[in-house]
Amino acid sequence: MGSLFRSEEVCLAQLFLQSASAYSCISELGERGLLEFRDLNPKVSPFQRRFVGEVRRCEEMEKTFTFLQQELRAAGRLPAPCPESPRAPAAREALRVQEQSEQLAQELREVSRSRSSLRDRLRDLRQHLHVLREGQRFTSLPVGPGVPAGLGREPILDPSLHHHLDRKINFVAGVIHPWRVTAFERLLWRACRGYLVASFVEMPEPMEDPATGESITWVIFLISYWGEQIGQKIRKISNCFHCQVYGYPESEASRTEAITRLHGQIQELSTLEETEKYLAEVLDKVAQVLPTWRVQVQKMKAIYLVLNQCSFDVTKKCLIAEVWCPVRDLTQVQDALRQGSVSGSCFVQRVPTTESPPTLIRTNKFTAGFQSIVDAYGVASYQEVNPAPYAIITFPFIFAIMFGDVGHGLLMFLFALWMVLYEDSPRLRQGTNEIWLTFFEGRYLILLMGAFSIYTGFIYNECFSKATAIFPSAWSVATMANHSSWSSAYLATHPSLTLDPNVTGVFQGPYPFGIDPIWSLATNHLNFLNSFKMKMSVVLGIVHMGFGVMLGVFNHVHFQQRHRLVLEFLPEMIFLLALFGYLVFLIFYKWIKFSAADSRVAPSILIHFIDMFLFTSNAENLPLYPGQVPVQMVLVVLALASVPVLLLGTPLYQWCRQRAPRTVRPRAVGGFMGITRRGIQHDFAEIFMHQAIHTIEYCLGCVSNTASYLRLWALSLAHAQLSEVLWSMVMRNGFVGLSYVGGVVLVPVFAAFAVLTVAILLVMEGLSAFLHALRLHWVEFQNKFYVGAGYKLCPFAFAPDTWE
Amino acid sequence: MPGYSEFYFNVDHGYLEGLVRGFKAGILTSADYVNLAQCETLEDLKLHLQTTDYGNFLANETGPLTVSTIDEKLKTKLLTEFHYFRNHAFEPLATFLNFVTYSYMIDNVILLITGTLHQRPIAELAPKCHPLGSFEQMEAVSIASNPTELFNAILVDTPLAAFFQDCLSENDLDEMNIEIMRNKLYKSYLEAFYKFCEKQGGTTAEIMRPILEFEADRRAFIITINSFGTELSKDDREKLYPTCGKLYPEGLHLLANADDYEQVKRVAEYYADYKAVFEGVGSGTGEKTLEDAFFEHEVKLNVLAFNNQFHFGVFYAYVKLKEQECRNIVWIAECISQRHRTKINNYIPIF
Repeated sequence: MGSLFRSEEVCLAQLFLQSASAYSCISELGERGLLEFRDLNPKVSPFQRRFVGEVRRCEEMEKTFTFLQQELRAAGRLPAPCPESPRAPAAREALRVQEQSEQLAQELREVSRSRSSLRDRLRDLRQHLHVLREGQRFTSLPVGPGVPAGLGREPILDPSLHHHLDRKINFVAGVIHPWRVTAFERLLWRACRGYLVASFVEMPEPMEDPATGESITWVIFLISYWGEQIGQKIRKISNCFHCQVYGYPESEASRTEAITRLHGQIQELSTLEETEKYLAEVLDKVAQVLPTWRVQVQKMKAIYLVLNQCSFDVTKKCLIAEVWCPVRDLTQVQDALRQGSVSGSCFVQRVPTTESPPTLIRTNKFTAGFQSIVDAYGVASYQEVNPAPYAIITFPFIFAIMFGDVGHGLLMFLFALWMVLYEDSPRLRQGTNEIWLTFFEGRYLILLMGAFSIYTGFIYNECFSKATAIFPSAWSVATMANHSSWSSAYLATHPSLTLDPNVTGVFQGPYPFGIDPIWSLATNHLNFLNSFKMKMSVVLGIVHMGFGVMLGVFNHVHFQQRHRLVLEFLPEMIFLLALFGYLVFLIFYKWIKFSAADSRVAPSILIHFIDMFLFTSNAENLPLYPGQVPVQMVLVVLALASVPVLLLGTPLYQWCRQRAPRTVRPRAVGGFMGITRRGIQHDFAEIFMHQAIHTIEYCLGCVSNTASYLRLWALSLAHAQLSEVLWSMVMRNGFVGLSYVGGVVLVPVFAAFAVLTVAILLVMEGLSAFLHALRLHWVEFQNKFYVGAGYKLCPFAFAPDTWE
Repeated sequence: MPGYSEFYFNVDHGYLEGLVRGFKAGILTSADYVNLAQCETLEDLKLHLQTTDYGNFLANETGPLTVSTIDEKLKTKLLTEFHYFRNHAFEPLATFLNFVTYSYMIDNVILLITGTLHQRPIAELAPKCHPLGSFEQMEAVSIASNPTELFNAILVDTPLAAFFQDCLSENDLDEMNIEIMRNKLYKSYLEAFYKFCEKQGGTTAEIMRPILEFEADRRAFIITINSFGTELSKDDREKLYPTCGKLYPEGLHLLANADDYEQVKRVAEYYADYKAVFEGVGSGTGEKTLEDAFFEHEVKLNVLAFNNQFHFGVFYAYVKLKEQECRNIVWIAECISQRHRTKINNYIPIF
C-alpha cells in the first residue's frame, strides 16, 4: 500500500556493461523487466547504429520464419503453442537457429517446388484431357450412321465454302478463366471478323488456379478457323488472355490416341503422393520448432534494439546504458547483472539528475482498475499524492449514491462476482470483444460498485423501486386514527390523510436504518426525499472537496514547500470551510435543533445563507442561534481575506527569496511540476499568472463544484423514478388478479420487465452514473491537489503476451 | 449542382476525403529524403522506409533487394490505396477517379504498341505497364496493325474509346504515328477531363483548373520541343496541342510557329509561371532539366490542392504526389545501387 500512496522513488542510473557480456546482461534484465532504457543516441538514424548488422540478421531470420509460417498456413496447419518462454539465444545458438531455419526453409522450398511442378504437370495433363474430351462434342457430334467419321466437323462450316476454298480447317483449343470468357469471345469476333467458330463449355470438374490457388471451374474453348493469319491472331489473342492452349490434333484417330496417351501419363505421375508425404514430414518438423524460434529471435532483436540505444565509453571496451530504475529494485538489477556477466564486471551506478523521473505505481489485480481510472485523467507527477487509494472507496460510494437500489446493486454485484470467481478462465480472459474486456478489466470496481449500491439501496429503502419493511415502521396510523377519531364515512371521502408527528404516539422516533418504508406510501414522498438527498449531496460534496484540499498538504510537505502550507493550503481551507463548511454546519444544526414540534417556526437555511453574503438580516426569518449575524460576518470577511493571500502569497514569497539568494538549499527533490528553482527566478510573471489562474479557478470552483455535487441528487432521483415507472407501467400490468390467466400473463410481462431492467436501469443508468462519478473524481476532487503531469515508467520486459 | 459543395459534400465523399488526407500525412517529408539519401545500401533504404508510413511493405521479400522490386512494391501500395478509394467512391467521384486512371491507360496502350513494334514479347512488356492503368483487353493491343483496327477490335468498349475519335486512320503504326496517336489521345483526354471538372463546378473546378491547365501546357511545350528535327509539319503539330491550357489560343499559335528552343522559351516568357519554370532550367550537370522543372511545378500545384476542403482535387493530387514520391524513391535507390551518388539529390521533395 505504501507504493500506492505515492509513486515509487525512481533514479537515473548508468549500467556499465562489458562488451562481451552486454548481450546476456540485457537478456537477463529483459526477463525481469525492471528498467526503462533511455536512448543515448537519438540523433543517429536507425541504419547507422552499432548493432544494425545483428538487427538485420534477426530480420532475415524473421523473414525465413514468415515464409515457414506461410507454408504452414497454406497447408492448413497451426504451429504448436510455445510451451514456456524460452530465453534469448546465445550467439552460438542463434547461429544454429539461423542455420537450421534456413536449411528447413530450403528443404521446404525444394519439396514444395517439386510438388507444385508435379501438380502443375498433372493439372496440365488433366486439362488437356478434358479439352480433348469436350472437344469431341463439337467436332464429332453429328456423327450418325452412314456418315464417314472424317466429315464430322462439316456441319459447323459451310460445306460448299470448304470444298471451294480447299483449305484445311484448323483448331485452337484450350482453357480460359471463366471471368474472361465474354471479353475473349467479343475480341475474337471483332479481330477476326467472324472467320472462325468458337465454342465454349465448362469443364466438368473444378481445378486449381495456379495464380491464386483457388479452385475454379475453368471454361474450355475450341476455336475452328481457316487461314494461317487468322490462326496467328487467335493464338496471340489467347496468349493475351492468359489462356492455356493445348495441341488439338486434326484427325479423330490421332485425338483418340492422344487421349489414351494422356491417360497413361497421368497414371505415371504417382510420385506426387510420395512428395506430399515428404512435405508433410517437413511441415511437422517446422510446426514443432517454429514457435520457440520465433520467440527467441524476437527477444534477440529486442535486445539488440536496446543495445543500439547504448553508447560506448572511450576505451570501447564497455557499453554504457542509461536507465530509469526504481530504487527498490537496484539490488535486483545488480543481481541480474551478476548473473548475466561472465567475469562479474558489469555494474550499475546511480547518477544525479535534474530531470523529473517517470512515475511508477505498482498495482495488483485489485487496485489496477482504480489506478487506471486515475491514469486516464493524467499520470501522476513524480512522487505526488496518488488519488487512487481513496478512489477505491469514494468512487464506488459516489456511484452508489446515484445508483441506490438493493435489487439493481445485487444484480451488478453478482455479475462482478462471477467475473472475479472465474477470472482465471482463459475464455473470459481472451475475449476479443473490446467492450467486454473493458468490463472485465474493471471487475473489482464493478464488484465494489454493486456492494455499495446494495448499501445505499437499503438506506434509500428501495429494492426494484419497492420499499422493504425490515423493521416495523416508526409511524403509527392506528394512534392517529384513534386520536382524531376518523369515522368510516370520513375515510371514504378522503383519499389522503395526514399523520401528525406532534400527536404523542404517532411518531415513535427515527427508523433504525435508512428511510422509513411508510414514506413510499406518502404523497409527499418526493418532497421529503428531495430535501434529504439535496442536503446529503451538498454535505458529501463539501467533505469530499475538503478531503482533496487536505491531501494537498502531503504534497507540500513532501516537496519541501512548507510555505505553501501557509500561503496556499490555509487560505484554501479557510475559504472552503468559512463559506461551505458553515453551510454544512447549518444543515446539521437545523436537523438537531428543530424537532417536529417547532418545525412551523424553523428558519430557512437558504435565506440565512444568502443574507450572510449580503450582510443583512431578515426579520421574518428567525435566527438559528444567538449571535448569528456577527459570526457570519466574521466568516465572510475571513473567507474574502484569504483570497488575496492565496493570490499573492506564493508569488511574493518566491520574489522575496529571489532577492535574498542565500537561502538556496541543495535539495534533490524539487522537480515538482517540472519547474526548477532556476526556472522560477526567470519568470516571475509566469508564476504570478499561474497563481492568479489557480486562485480564480479555486474560488469560482468552490461555488460551482458544490453545485456540481447536486448531480448526486439529480441522478439518484432519476434512477428511483425510472425504476418506479418501470414497475408501475410494466410489471404491475402483469398482476391481473390471482388466476391462472394472471400467471400466464405474468411470464411475458416479467420477461419485458427483466430485459428493460437490465438494459435501461443496469446498463444505461449504470454507465451514466459511472460517468458522473468519474467526473466528480476527475474534476471536483482531483483539481484540488492533483497535477497529473507525469509519464509512466515503461520497463524493458519480455512480456509473455506479445508473442502471438 | 455546381458550387456550395460544402453543404452536401461530406454526405457521399466525406469519408474518402478524410482518408486521403490521412494518407497524405504519410507522404515522405524532406527530412526523410535527407535520411534516405544518406543510405549506403538498399538494405539501409529499406530499414529507413520501415520507420515511415511504408512500414513493412518490403518485409516479405526473400532474396536480394533490387530497385525493380522496390518500384513494384511502391506501385502496389499506391494501387491498393487507389482501389480502396475507387471501390468506396460514389458518383461523381467515381467518374473522377476513373478519369485519373485513363492517363495511365493511354500510357500503357502506347507502351504496348511501341513494344510490339519492336518485336518484344508481350510477357516482357506487361509488367512494365503502370498498374493503375491496366484493363482487361490491354494485352490484346499488340495484335492491332493500324489505329482503326486497334479501335474497332479492342478499344471500342474501353473508356478510352471516347478519346479515340480523332485518331482513326488507316496508317500503319510506325513510331511517328504512334506518337501522334498518343498526343491526340492525351489531348482529347485532357479536354474531356477538364470539361468534366468544369461541370462539377465549385471548389473541384477551382482546384483542378490550374492543375489541368498546367498539364495541357506542359504537353504543348514538350510536343513542340520534341518535334524539332522530325518530319511533323507545323500544322499537324498545332493539332496535337490540348486546348484547355492557359496558352490557348495565342500561346499555342506561337508555339506552333516556333522553330527552336529559344523561340519556345520566348513564348513561355509571356506567362509568368512558365517563365519561372524555364528560367530554373540549366544545361550543366547538377542543374535541373526542363522535365524536372515541370515536375517541380506540378508538385507545387498539387500540394496547393490540399489547402481547400470539399473537392475532388485532393484525390488527383494525392495520386500524382504519390507517383512523384515513387519516382523519388526509385531515383534514390537507383543512385545507391549504381553507386552514382553525385546526382542522388536530384529528387523533388514534396513537403
